[in-house]
Amino acid sequence: MRRGLTLCVCVLAVAMLLSTGWAKEPTIRIGINAPLTGDIPKVGEGTKFAAQLWLEDIKAAGGITVGKKKHPVELIIEDNESKAESAVKVTTKMITEDDILIMVGPQASKQAVPAAGIANNYKTPMITPWSTNPDSTKDKPYVFRACFLDPFQGPVVANFISKEFKFKKAAVLYDVASDYPKGLAEFFRKAWEDINGKGSVVAYESFTTKDTDFSSQLTKIINSGAQVLFTPQYYNEVALIVQQAHQLGWKKPIVGSDSWGSAETIKLCGKDCYGQFFSTHYAAAGATGETKKFIDRYKAKYGYVPDDVAALTWDAMLLAQQAIQSTGALSGDLKKDRDNVRNALSQVKKFQGITGEMTFAGKNDPSKCAVIVKISDAGEFTYYKSVCP
Amino acid sequence: MPDTMPKTGKLRAAFSRVPLLGWLLGILAAVVIEKYLGTDLALGVGLPKIPALFGIDIMLKKPLLVPNAFLYTLLIYALPVGVVGVATAPLANRAAAALIRLPITVPVIVHLALFYVSMHLWAEVSDYRALVLRLTLIAVMLTLSLNVINGYMGEFSCSHPGFMALGAYCASVVTVGLFVDKGMFGIDLLPEGMGPFLFPVALLAGGVLAAVGALVVAVPSFRTRGDYLAIISLAFLFIVKSVIENLEFVRGPRGMSGQPDWAGLPTVFLWTVLCVWTINNYVRSTLGKAMNAIRDNELAADAMTVDTRRTKMVGFLFAAFWAGVAGGLFAHVLRYVNPGTFGIQQLAEVLAMVYFGGLNSVYGSIVGAVSISMLGEALRPLEIFKWIIIPLLLILVMIYRPTGLVAFKDLDAESLLRPKQGPDGGA
Repeated sequence: MRRGLTLCVCVLAVAMLLSTGWAKEPTIRIGINAPLTGDIPKVGEGTKFAAQLWLEDIKAAGGITVGKKKHPVELIIEDNESKAESAVKVTTKMITEDDILIMVGPQASKQAVPAAGIANNYKTPMITPWSTNPDSTKDKPYVFRACFLDPFQGPVVANFISKEFKFKKAAVLYDVASDYPKGLAEFFRKAWEDINGKGSVVAYESFTTKDTDFSSQLTKIINSGAQVLFTPQYYNEVALIVQQAHQLGWKKPIVGSDSWGSAETIKLCGKDCYGQFFSTHYAAAGATGETKKFIDRYKAKYGYVPDDVAALTWDAMLLAQQAIQSTGALSGDLKKDRDNVRNALSQVKKFQGITGEMTFAGKNDPSKCAVIVKISDAGEFTYYKSVCP
Repeated sequence: MPDTMPKTGKLRAAFSRVPLLGWLLGILAAVVIEKYLGTDLALGVGLPKIPALFGIDIMLKKPLLVPNAFLYTLLIYALPVGVVGVATAPLANRAAAALIRLPITVPVIVHLALFYVSMHLWAEVSDYRALVLRLTLIAVMLTLSLNVINGYMGEFSCSHPGFMALGAYCASVVTVGLFVDKGMFGIDLLPEGMGPFLFPVALLAGGVLAAVGALVVAVPSFRTRGDYLAIISLAFLFIVKSVIENLEFVRGPRGMSGQPDWAGLPTVFLWTVLCVWTINNYVRSTLGKAMNAIRDNELAADAMTVDTRRTKMVGFLFAAFWAGVAGGLFAHVLRYVNPGTFGIQQLAEVLAMVYFGGLNSVYGSIVGAVSISMLGEALRPLEIFKWIIIPLLLILVMIYRPTGLVAFKDLDAESLLRPKQGPDGGA
C-alpha cells in the first residue's frame, strides 16, 4: 500500500515537472463533420477527400499564415453516421474536446440544423457546405453556408423550364419524408404557379424514403398531361425514377435539382439520364481555371470526378482559410479567435470559389449563382447556363 | 514466479471485502483527483489534454499515444479507485452496516447521492462527457422499458421508437408551444419563469400519449399470441413516422427545433433513477411475476387465475409510458427532433442493447445500454469498422450467452448495499 502511494506521488511529481516545460506553436484545428457511414457515405467521402486535398496545399505551404506568423493546421475528421444525434455529439466533442477554431459540415440539413444550434451556443463558427434548408442559419449568427438556398433554387428551375421549353404544365414527384425534397418541391410549385397560373402543376405526387417502385405515381403523372417532370431527389432514387418513367412510356424531359449532382447518378442511371437537366452549384465538364484545376487534381488522386459536395466543401475550406487569415492575428485565446473568425466570415465579399462568386456582406447565406447542367450523351455534367439572383 | 499467485489472491481477497459504498468513495476520489490534477497529469504523460472517454478515442486515432493514454487511465482511475476502495474498506463496511439498519430508502439515497456527485464531477471536466452521459442514461431508460415487453413478457415489440417519437413530439409541443414559440397556440398562456417547473408535466404528458398509442397496438394484438405483436407494432412504428411527417404544425420532415435547455444532467439522472426504481419494483411485484408466468406458459398462467389479457396490457402500456418519457428527454437533450430519427435504425439499436445486456434483467438492461452507447461513442474513429465490430460482438454474445450478458437478474437494493465483512472485519 505504502509503496503504491509513494509511486503515485513520484509519478505525479514527474508529471508536474514535465508539464512546466510544455509550450508549442498554436495549431489551428478545423473540424470536419461528415457522414462517413450511414445513408449517404458518398457524401461523406467527398467531404473528407476535398478537405484532405486542401490540407495538402496547406502542408506544402507550411501552414496558414496569419499576420506574420505561420500556424500549423490539423484537421479533425469525425463521422456523424448521418444521424442527428451523432452530429450533435460530434459537434460538441469537436468544440469542447478538440478545441477547433471553425467547423466545416455537417452536409445534409437533418444533421446541419441541430449541429448549427450547438455551434451557435458555443459561439463557434460553422460553415455547412451543402445544407440548403433555411433553418440551418436562421437566427444563428455563428453559422454560415457555402451554397444557395431552396427558396432560390425552386424559382430558378421553374424559370428555366418556362423560358427554355415554354411548357405550361409541370408534374412533381418527391419524397414526403425527407426535408430537402419536400421543401424544394413546395418552392418549385409556388414559383411555377406564379409564372403559369393556378393549377399549372398538374400532378404533385409523393412517396416515402426507401420506396423503390414509383409506377403508380408515374402512371398518374403520365396521365395528367404534364409536359415536364421535376423530381428533386437523391442519386439512388433519381436512377429508379427516370428508368421507370421511361419504361412506362414517358418521353418528355425530367428536371432535377442539386441533389442529382453526384457521380453515382450516372453510374446507376446510365443512358436513361442522358439529355436531362438539373440545377446545381457547378458543372464539372468543360470547367476552366481553378475549378478545372481542382477537378483534375481530385480525379488524379481519387479516381473519379468530384461531385458538388466535394466542390462546395473545397470552397468552404477556402472560405474558412480566408476568414482566418483576414483576422490579422490569432491571439491563442480560442473564444476571442472564434469571434474574430466569425466577424471576418460575415464580411467576406466577392470570394472567388470554384462553385462561383460568393458575398456574405453581413448575412449568413451567400448570394451566389446557380448553374443549369445538362447531362451529355457521354454521361458528363456539362455547363448549360447560369442563373444569378 | 511462485510469488505472484498468493499476491493476486491476496489482492482479490482485499477487493472482495470492499462494499459498494467503498467503491463509490474510490470513484469519488478518482474524479476529484482528475478535476484538480487531471490536466497537469495529462500534459505530463504527453497527452494534449484530459482524454474524454478513458483515452480510447486517443488510442484509436494516434496509436503512438496508446501507452500514454493507458498510463493516464491507470493513474487517474484504476489506481485511486483501487487504493481508496481497499483503504476505506473497514470504514465503509462499518458505515454500510450502520446505514443498512435504517429504513432502506436512507442508504439508497446516500449511495445514489454519492454516485451522482462523482458523475457530476466527472462530467464537469467537459461538456462532451455530460452529453454522452445524458444520452446514455436515456438509452438505459429505453432499454429497460423495452426489456419489460421483450424480456419479462416474452413478446416481441418493434414499436419502441414510435413511442419515443410520440413522447418526444408531445413534450416538445408543450414546451416549445407554451414557452418558446408562443405563436403555436396563438395565445400567451403561461409566464416564462414557470417553464422549468412544468417540464416534468410535459414529460409525463409525453409518456401518457405514448401509453395511449400503445393501447392502439395492444387492443388488436393481445387477443392472440405469437408474432402478431411484432407485425402490428412494426406497422405502428411506420404509422407514427408518417403521421408526424405529414403534420405541418410540428414542421413535418423538417423537424422541430428550439426546445429549451431544461434536460440537464441532474434532471435526466433523476428521471432515470425514477424509471429504474419503478420498473424494478414492477417486475418484482405480483404483476411482474404474472408476466413471467404468461411468458413461460400462457395457458397454465390462465389456469392459475392470472388475468392474462389485463397483465399484458398493463405491462405494455407501462413500458410505452417510460419510452415516451425517455423520448421527451431525448428531444430536450438534442434540442431538435425529426421523424427520421425514430426509424428502423433506432429500433435496431434499442433491440441490440436489450439482447446484448440480457433478457428479463434490470442489471442487464443497464449493462447493455451503457456498453453499446459507450462502445458506439468510443469506436467512432474507426468509421465503417465500428459497424463490423459491434454486430460481431453481438453475434458472439448470442452464441456464447444466448440470453445476453446478465440475464434474469433484478436489482435487489438490500443485497447490493450490504457490507462485505472480510475475515477480520469483526461482527
